[in-house]
Amino acid sequence: MTLHRCSRRILAVWLPWWSTERLVRRRPEALERPFVTVSEVRGRRIVDATNLQARKAGLSPGMPLADAMAVEPDVVAVPADPAGDARALESLGRWTLRFTPRVALSPPDTLFLDVGGCAHLFGGEEALAAKVRTGLNGFGLASRAALAGTPGAAWALSHYGGNRNGGTTATPSVAGLAETKNALAELPVAALRLEPGVAEALSAFGLDRIRALFDMESVKLDARFGSGPSRRLAQALGRLEEPLSPLRPAAPLEARRAFAEPIARAGDIRAAVDELLAGLCRTLHRTGEGARRLRLVCRRVDGGRQSLVVGASRPRRRKETLAPLFAEKLDQIRPGFGIEEMVLRADVAEAVEVVQMGWTNATPGSADAEGLAGLLDRIGNRFGFDRMVRPWPRESWLPERAVGKGPASPAAAPARCWPEGRRRPLRLLSPPEPVDVAVDEQRGLPVFFVRRRQARRIRAVAGPERLECEWWREDAPPRDYYWVEDDEGRRCWLYREAPARGPGASRPAGVSRPPRWFLHGLFG
Amino acid sequence: MSVAALRRKIEQIDRAGCAVQPCLPLGFPEIDGALPGGGLRRGCVHEVGGDEAATGFCAAVLARAGADGGALLWLAQHGDLYAPGLVRYGIEAGRLVVVAGLRRPGDVAWAMEEALRCRAVKGVVAESASLGLAASRRLMLAAEGTDVVGLVLTPGTGNGGPGVPAAVSRWRVAAVPALGTNREAWRVQLLRCRGGRALEQVVAWRRRSAMWNGEAQAGCGGAGS
Repeated sequence: MTLHRCSRRILAVWLPWWSTERLVRRRPEALERPFVTVSEVRGRRIVDATNLQARKAGLSPGMPLADAMAVEPDVVAVPADPAGDARALESLGRWTLRFTPRVALSPPDTLFLDVGGCAHLFGGEEALAAKVRTGLNGFGLASRAALAGTPGAAWALSHYGGNRNGGTTATPSVAGLAETKNALAELPVAALRLEPGVAEALSAFGLDRIRALFDMESVKLDARFGSGPSRRLAQALGRLEEPLSPLRPAAPLEARRAFAEPIARAGDIRAAVDELLAGLCRTLHRTGEGARRLRLVCRRVDGGRQSLVVGASRPRRRKETLAPLFAEKLDQIRPGFGIEEMVLRADVAEAVEVVQMGWTNATPGSADAEGLAGLLDRIGNRFGFDRMVRPWPRESWLPERAVGKGPASPAAAPARCWPEGRRRPLRLLSPPEPVDVAVDEQRGLPVFFVRRRQARRIRAVAGPERLECEWWREDAPPRDYYWVEDDEGRRCWLYREAPARGPGASRPAGVSRPPRWFLHGLFG
Repeated sequence: MSVAALRRKIEQIDRAGCAVQPCLPLGFPEIDGALPGGGLRRGCVHEVGGDEAATGFCAAVLARAGADGGALLWLAQHGDLYAPGLVRYGIEAGRLVVVAGLRRPGDVAWAMEEALRCRAVKGVVAESASLGLAASRRLMLAAEGTDVVGLVLTPGTGNGGPGVPAAVSRWRVAAVPALGTNREAWRVQLLRCRGGRALEQVVAWRRRSAMWNGEAQAGCGGAGS
């Protein structure tokens, strides 16, 4: 037993309101309000989990939502998301890696921290537990913790030790067989992490407390209740080893190389980058990801450092496609007196999309598709990805707002088109150029306009087409657009700002301004 | 026809053993007839001078070049190219990739060369006042053997400018008054074409489905040949 006592000290951290509190964090309006998650069971909406406020109001898991609403009309209900809970628990587990390298998850709401051997770094076990709980508190997560020599005992004490509903400040801590036995004796059998239904079966036989199981022969227990209770008890007392599968820290997607002799020649740098790329690509292949942005950091002998950033329009993990992106930037490296270390890191990595269709009829993964992606990457890296756009339809009537930015991935195709029957110019002036226009008073059509001090007689007009901005934007008056052609055949898109409508826009009569005219676009 | 056969022979000698490159018919018989092979040669670079009319002409050619799929690229000098206007010439939404703000000729030449080398690209338009002999030779070499159509759009009147010296053909497109309000009329001039003959033609663009139409110039008379 002493062996176990030295080797393992498990801190179990229980988050009693995990699935609700983690959601409340994102919803400031739900703070301090009764909050429940709801799942659908056979067409009924049942409360899945509650937070402290909801529990105080009398709501409990298993209640139909309708009843819960009747009890507490102010309740906030959101759909339960067990998968999201599990993912969030894993990232919370990664956060606790700062306290100990060995962290294990016990879904749905408990973390095991193996703090044996590292508690002294934080000023003792008590202080460590307090630090963990303070940190969790900062995230808005209530927690209860317990320290014991085995995961089973720590779990039991964290869930059932002390007053179950009140938050205790001190962390219960037990060590050694006798002390553990003592601490567990009065706890209910459910504290042994039994399968559903087993605890009730034990209670039916009058075996309410763990104490009652101490003297039972495990053979008899096993015969009636399966191997669960006796195995769990043995694990809690340390008689049976309980393996924990520790959370693996996410490996950073990077490759580094330190040089025995500083390098400075272009050829050496290129070779080193090649080697780093090969290493990184191997890592990316293992994780099934591709790099969207790569950063190459060169540490120089004189302490200076220089980094090069290369982007890709879609996740890539093949050395042959990544190498050319760097090839064009390598001459920017200033080695100075020599580079002693190089680190290549994937700053942004995404899962590699396997299927790719649409836009072009290049077969997925073919040389054509690869070549195109490579071309866009090279152009994007040289001029900036923001200058390379796929014009994309956007829901707006105003011409300048009707074009959005399409996704870089060639796989996407627009869901809608620009209005077909309406004529739009080839070039759009931004901002529109104010022009002087003479209007035929009888027909109300422009006959003459002056652009850049050059008078142009209009020989053909089509329009007007009235375009208004959306009702929720009131920043621009409606516009009447005219397609006009001048004597020389140049075709332009003119518009007149129509007098604004609405109660706020009425002007006293007689002060009306002449309407302003603008040149907005040029046709082919 | 002996003259035609002779022409074909001269053409083969010109190309010095290269595979006969496919051509992109523009869909207007008069123009296609003036071009060797019955259309714009693919796998090389053409120069188109002019203003918005030339932009429309380039868009129409680009749409035809990408009719069977493939990527289309527009290397723009400024950010004023307006994609909804291109639909009229057959370039659908989401088809085109625009690289905006390439003001330096060196940048344009680099981007165009990269694009021409890429097998997935079927058409490139680059806006540049002039490219110089060396750069345009490089472009020709890059495009050789592919089926991409490269167009260099030289803005402004482009009269007598250096343009793109190595281009296979040199066009000028200018707007002329159209007969109706729902169409465009252009005067298309083929100033130079290796193996072709000079041409001046007024064409009208009606809808994007119906390609070109010969059209008498409206208003100030004097139509092209």
